Amino acid sequence: MKTLTNILWWLWLPVVLVILWWFASAQSTNLFVPPLQKIVESTIRDFGNGLLLTAMATSLVNLVLGLLIAILFGVIFGLIIGETRRLRLILDPFIHFFRSVPQSALVPLIIGAFGIGAEPKIYAVAFACVWPIMLNTIDGTRSVEVGVRQVSRVFGIPKMLYFRRVVLPGAMPQIVAGVRVALPIGIVVMVVSELFASNMGLGFYILNSSSTFRIPETWGGAMLVGVIGYFLVMVFSLFEKRLLSWYFKSAAR
Amino acid sequence: MTLEMQAPTPTAVKAGRVGSKVNWGLTLQRVLALIIILALWQVAVVVGLLPSITPGVIEVFGAIGAALTMPTFWAALGQTLTAATTGWLISCVVGVTLGLLIGTIRPLDRSTSVVVEFGRAFPTIALMPVVMLMLGATMTMEVTMVVLASVWPVLVQAILGSRRLDPAIVDTVQIFRIPRALWFRRVLLPSAMPFIATGIRISASISILAAVGVEVLTQVPGLGRLITLAQEAQRWDMAFAYLFFAGLFGWGIATLLAWGEKSLLAWNRQSDD
Amino acid sequence: MTIPQSIHTGTLTTTGNVLLKVDNIALGYGEGAAEKRIVDALSFDVGLGEFISIVGPSGVGKTTLLRGLSGLLKPKVGQVVVGGHVVSGPHPDIAVVFQDYSRSLMPWMSTRENVAFPLQGRGAGKAERNKEAEAALEAVGLGGQGDKYPWEMSGGMQQRVAIARALAYNAKVLLMDEPFASVDAQTRFDLEDLVIDLREKLGVTIILVTHDVDEAIYLADKVIVIAEKPATVVDVIETGFGTHRDQVATKADPRFQDARARILTRLRHND
Repeated sequence: MKTLTNILWWLWLPVVLVILWWFASAQSTNLFVPPLQKIVESTIRDFGNGLLLTAMATSLVNLVLGLLIAILFGVIFGLIIGETRRLRLILDPFIHFFRSVPQSALVPLIIGAFGIGAEPKIYAVAFACVWPIMLNTIDGTRSVEVGVRQVSRVFGIPKMLYFRRVVLPGAMPQIVAGVRVALPIGIVVMVVSELFASNMGLGFYILNSSSTFRIPETWGGAMLVGVIGYFLVMVFSLFEKRLLSWYFKSAAR
Repeated sequence: MTLEMQAPTPTAVKAGRVGSKVNWGLTLQRVLALIIILALWQVAVVVGLLPSITPGVIEVFGAIGAALTMPTFWAALGQTLTAATTGWLISCVVGVTLGLLIGTIRPLDRSTSVVVEFGRAFPTIALMPVVMLMLGATMTMEVTMVVLASVWPVLVQAILGSRRLDPAIVDTVQIFRIPRALWFRRVLLPSAMPFIATGIRISASISILAAVGVEVLTQVPGLGRLITLAQEAQRWDMAFAYLFFAGLFGWGIATLLAWGEKSLLAWNRQSDD
Repeated sequence: MTIPQSIHTGTLTTTGNVLLKVDNIALGYGEGAAEKRIVDALSFDVGLGEFISIVGPSGVGKTTLLRGLSGLLKPKVGQVVVGGHVVSGPHPDIAVVFQDYSRSLMPWMSTRENVAFPLQGRGAGKAERNKEAEAALEAVGLGGQGDKYPWEMSGGMQQRVAIARALAYNAKVLLMDEPFASVDAQTRFDLEDLVIDLREKLGVTIILVTHDVDEAIYLADKVIVIAEKPATVVDVIETGFGTHRDQVATKADPRFQDARARILTRLRHND
């Protein structure tokens, strides 16, 4: 009963908004604002014929690969820099500078340099995502307790083992938080790079439909990217909660 | 033994960066690091490790100098700045006002939570083609995009901030019968300010990201447009120079806001001790 | 010190100068069958200028009672009347000093702004506000410290600021909710004597809610003992110390000892 009331509280507004949109746009004669019904129809049709599924797969593969590269480099360099005090002090302003470059500005350069295939998009996502992950990893290494460090030193734990079994798990909550920050950035860069120049993917679907004046498809594609982005972020939050259950539990105590 | 393994406290690191005394040794090392990075870049270009179009260090420095004397560059920077700040300011006002209302009115909070979560996670830039169809490649479109992208962090943080108003303060305000408007301005807003400040900071960098993104993708003039034009004209040195300025711009704003937050919200740090 | 030693229920106040009248109130949370009643059939009168302590064991519902007296919680039954007006919400004649000074003071305001804030809520001009705030700070021994922030002060000083804020509000009745519960013993004595002093000088009517029997007797003209579930008045004791007290002499007074024994017996008996 209680959960049912909660669900009603949560859902009534979104439902009302969609219904409003549906009826307000139903009689729309504005070419650029098609009825919601038409948008939904075109999206369902393109899901049926596989067009959107292929586009989604392309975009998501680029995003995931870019993100994986960013995690790999961000974590490795983050651990090294974080564990070397001098290096951290010296490099701090540079990392902050790269972090501050508006990631969307990189897209023309990377695509100009590498062409319009999948690779440059992966690079663009990776380059944009690596900085928040690296910064968070550096912060994370600092959260390893002094006592834990001393114990490892006293017992003569080898450097590699120390990184793998002490620093990495200790920094994990921060690393995962870094990936959570990086994920939406990666999605934005993925979209921008596909809207900039592409011949496949969701961005291409949007771009192509808009330049051929199939406006319902443009709306549908844009909404779909948004919904996918939303779900990715949600799924990641759930994943984070599960992965880091030890952290939340110990912090709750 | 203990000494050498002592993890530096955050304050110790900060002191190294913004301490009252300039740490010359560290500065020197940073300059050296910069030189090494630039040298590595130059070597990579000469050896051919980087894509052939990558300009050398000297060319980029030249281009940076050239950009500084170009009226088009300053005009573009001004346009990006105007669009980003206009959108950002609108986001701050709208986000703070709505956020404080939502955060303090329980039914409103429950009703809007899904919409707010959705808006926050929605990659707004995806809507650009649609907004572009409706508004054309105009400044209005750019500002609209900036607002759509940057309003969420402020909104979410304002909601979080107003939810944490201390019950003791709620009682106090009731007992002394503080009028609603005064309560909003002198109690709720300052109490939520530490949270809002974070939102405002995040929102500022998203504003720049969105403004440059729109310019990269459309004909709207600005820094992003200059980068695209330079790329199309194969002027890679200029493209890198503009990129450098975009980074400098983003970094400058982030640093400025972090500093402002630190000095304006001294009470928050103190009372948390 | 000529008041007889015998202790008996209140006759000191006549209905003529009753400032605050608690008339058979019941307080609770929730509605109807689901209601959890905390306070029931509770009545007492407070005379003008009187100092009342309400003492009861922890968890008896003292904070609920205070919320009821201050207008933060509407009685289910009965009413609270102050100066002839029924209290139906926070009232201009009632100011409160909360237990948790560190949370009831606003850290983003200077001490002076904190004290002046209720006056600002009344629409007083800046000059007037600052003057009143400075006077109130002066009264609690914090003259000239208005520019400091609460978090730059010790706990005892912060509680003084909270008292100054209540004074500046210029209410007829000052309600204090365990105001000295979170400070150390010495500071506590200082603050107790400050309150006695303020009452003597300014003639404010004070209702203090506490679980500390000694404090209740030491400060008050009349101690109201509450107990049972739901809480109600189980005893009323006139202390008869007059307006001037002394931490050592008053506490050594046989009347003090008698009152103490009587209250403790009452409370134990009701456990």
